Amino acid sequence: MGALARTLHAWDQWGAAHDAYLRAQALAPRAAEWLYLDGVALQRLARHADAAACFDEALRRAPDYLPARAKLAESLVDSGSLDRAEVLYDALRREPAAEPVAEFGLGRIAAARDRHEAAVAHLERAVALFPEYGAAHYALALSYRALGRRDAAERALDEHVRYGPRWPAIADPMLAGVASLRDDAETAFQRGLRLADEGDLAGAIAAHEEALARDPSIAQAHANLISLYGRARNWAKAEEHYRASVALGFNLGDAHYDYGVLLGLQEKWDAARDAYRQAIAVDPRHAQAHNNLGQILERQRALEAAAAEYRLAAESQPSFRIAGFNLGRMLIALGRNDEAIHALEPLVEPRDAEAPRFLFALATAHVRAGHRDEGIARANDARQLALKFGQQELAAAIERELAQLR
Amino acid sequence: MRRRVPGRLAALAASIAIGIAAGDAASPAPAPIFVESAAAAGLAFTHVNGATGNYYLPEIMGAGVALFDYDNDGDLDVFLVQGGALPADASAKAGRDAATCRLFRNDLITGADGRRTLRFSDVTSAAGVGLRNYGMGAAVGDYDNDGYQDLLVTSFGSLTLLRNNGNGTFTDVTRQAGVSDSGWSTSAAFFDYDRDGFLDLFVAHYVDFTIAANKLCNDPAGARDYCSPRAYRPAPARLFRNDGRGHFVDATAAAGITKAYGAGLGVAVGDYNGDGWLDVYVANDGTPNQLWINGHDGTFKDEGPLSGAALNATGTPEGSMGIASGDFDLDGDEDLFVTNIVRETSVLYVNDGRGNFEDARVRSGLGALTAAFTGFGTDWIDYDNDGWPDLFVANGAVNIVEALRGQPSPYRMRNQLFHNTGARRFEETSAAAGPAFARAEIGRGAAFGDIDNDGDVDIVVTNNDGPVRLLLNQAGAANHWLQVRLDQPSSNRFAIGSRVGVERAGRPALWRRVRTDGSYLSASDVRAHFGLGSSAEVGAVVVEWPDGGRERWADVKGDRLVTLRRGTGRR
Repeated sequence: MGALARTLHAWDQWGAAHDAYLRAQALAPRAAEWLYLDGVALQRLARHADAAACFDEALRRAPDYLPARAKLAESLVDSGSLDRAEVLYDALRREPAAEPVAEFGLGRIAAARDRHEAAVAHLERAVALFPEYGAAHYALALSYRALGRRDAAERALDEHVRYGPRWPAIADPMLAGVASLRDDAETAFQRGLRLADEGDLAGAIAAHEEALARDPSIAQAHANLISLYGRARNWAKAEEHYRASVALGFNLGDAHYDYGVLLGLQEKWDAARDAYRQAIAVDPRHAQAHNNLGQILERQRALEAAAAEYRLAAESQPSFRIAGFNLGRMLIALGRNDEAIHALEPLVEPRDAEAPRFLFALATAHVRAGHRDEGIARANDARQLALKFGQQELAAAIERELAQLR
Repeated sequence: MRRRVPGRLAALAASIAIGIAAGDAASPAPAPIFVESAAAAGLAFTHVNGATGNYYLPEIMGAGVALFDYDNDGDLDVFLVQGGALPADASAKAGRDAATCRLFRNDLITGADGRRTLRFSDVTSAAGVGLRNYGMGAAVGDYDNDGYQDLLVTSFGSLTLLRNNGNGTFTDVTRQAGVSDSGWSTSAAFFDYDRDGFLDLFVAHYVDFTIAANKLCNDPAGARDYCSPRAYRPAPARLFRNDGRGHFVDATAAAGITKAYGAGLGVAVGDYNGDGWLDVYVANDGTPNQLWINGHDGTFKDEGPLSGAALNATGTPEGSMGIASGDFDLDGDEDLFVTNIVRETSVLYVNDGRGNFEDARVRSGLGALTAAFTGFGTDWIDYDNDGWPDLFVANGAVNIVEALRGQPSPYRMRNQLFHNTGARRFEETSAAAGPAFARAEIGRGAAFGDIDNDGDVDIVVTNNDGPVRLLLNQAGAANHWLQVRLDQPSSNRFAIGSRVGVERAGRPALWRRVRTDGSYLSASDVRAHFGLGSSAEVGAVVVEWPDGGRERWADVKGDRLVTLRRGTGRR
């Protein structure tokens, strides 16, 4: 029964897993494992009070199991039992592996009680222990905000965006045993995505191929292999997966787009242009396809047509700042400087590492439009921002332009 | 929960000649809070999602409903948005037989003895509103200030603005009004963000899904299922500024609306930071929600993440769908209840009055009560007229419900009703709400208003691939009430965006925003409804007009609908 429960759990069948864990507990009441895993399933069902009861029982049988102690405290916070959770987190601070989680929990509890100074102290400790702790950065931002420290709050939010859902893991052999049961195509596919993110190209390709060997209908695996093989410069295999992707008929926009990138890598520009046009025919708002098509047209000196594609890219996905930048560049090249200013102006926020070159292009458009002072001001701004982000080469180029203007 | 007064309710219920007088004064069992009456009242409509086994994402998302008095005869009519066949060319082939949006005219008759007869007539053809687009939602507002409310219909692939001609017919003015849009539009809101007296338009968009780019997704058990919106790229919302000459100008980029966006589903307008200017809250599916704070100069800035109303407590975006915006705790500011996908729990964001929100889902009890459901249409609805806004949520899954695997329509869930205890906590009252709340369907849109003009708020609920439901409130008669309709003589005629306050001796004031937006893909009654509890006495009614002007009326009586015309109160 326990094996069945763990299998259901491994395939995210939380409700059925809970039922099976209940039966396993009845058959083996002394075992901590079924209680603990049942608690995890109940957490996933957002039944936090029930989960806490399971973790409590599990800890009676295995008092030193650290993941159960951390999850009990977490379930208590999520079910509103802050006083008891605080005691547990306080004890967890003495366990090095659980300390970041404990500080985060104590920070959440302090914030819930409107004690934001205390919350900040705990949360700053959490991110000092585990700098990539996205959730702690977010909680920190909200507590800074409550204290009126807006600049600090915005910096913490930036960190949150940077690290997303990363979380300090506590070694959990019981749960690892569940995860290891899952060997389906989807698991291999997800592993392939993770390896691709980590830069392990060979591993990512192997995992994707493994996923397809188990389930040839995973169209996204074919689509991903177009770009993975492309990065490995294995054109024949990339082509093979493009054909398979088209044959399956799913997500054709991305398949044609990836094929276009592949052809571009081989400098087959006309064929790449046709592939991007196919992508756009399937998905008229495919911003990347419009942008890349614009780049090919720019290479072919069809500047008006390139500008039109860049404009479509920017309109389809306004957060795609490179497309807006390309549009601005093209408009400057065409002498349409007022339009270029209009296109470039929205790109200068946020003032991140991308912003200096956008500001520099904006400065150029202003100067060419006859707004010399505004252009110089923008160029100075761009130079300072470039220096802030360590972009010495760009800063020097801007300085040279400024010297000429002076 | 405060229960109804049996004798009084029985008398009223018996007077509605549509067979809904469930129980009488002698019956020991309490009557249900709501009685489902769609078929009995002639509201015959079934949504068609057009599912063919290809799992096209739009199939599982629609559709909405609008409750508005299109003919200005004093009662609420019902516009229901239809889906149809996908892809679009299949719809064209279906031709005249294709399912269309429908408009039902409310022919409510109130006799001299107070007896009400509620009956709807299908006037789709005569009104010219039988759209054959793959419809999603509806928004209502009088954009041309002619005193008749116009209709905007959002769709997968188009946006349609129907101008109310004032003679029972509508004209499609999409192109000449400048609001053409080929994206996947979802919820929309009419509001006057620049205070020029003309209603502007905010339209949320979902993702860049196309039929040709449909992706293959499986559920954890390996069965084919609908993809998460994360499988596609989110599409930015659009803001259209009304130029006052029957035309809209695309102000999206100029207003800064493109700087942040997600897979937009729900839209609500309110003054969330208390500066007197209207802001916009957008519920996004799987991406951070936005709180667009009005900059007073035609621009908006997304304060969502820093406001605390964009993410959950661990900084993770949720699958947000519908929005209830209102002052549930009677502290004078607008709080937000946002419906989320199953297991995330829906969330109550409590406003501190300055646009900083606290995630109160655990403390309010709503988190645990909503964990097993995927919520869509919702609103604060004081169903028992006790003065404390309660909550209704239309539920229905978007992925196969484990317990329904292998059954037809394995996305069914029951709807929920929550009672506001007045202590910032909620109790579920679905079990007492009537058989309609035990029935599992694929709930989506919900619109709110007093359809039978009996002094309490009724609900129209739409179901994906299922029939519409009309929930007539039976509980409101236990308490006193007041409804307020605002009238501005020349601009923004229905005064959308105004704030109406009812002052009561010894008790906190009740504040409502005049609005048609909120919920999910739906538009609700523009009249503001107030439950007054056990006393019909009203100290005064205060109106804060959309341009910042303020007036006060001291001689308002309860248990009636009053129309307050601008310039007739004390400044």
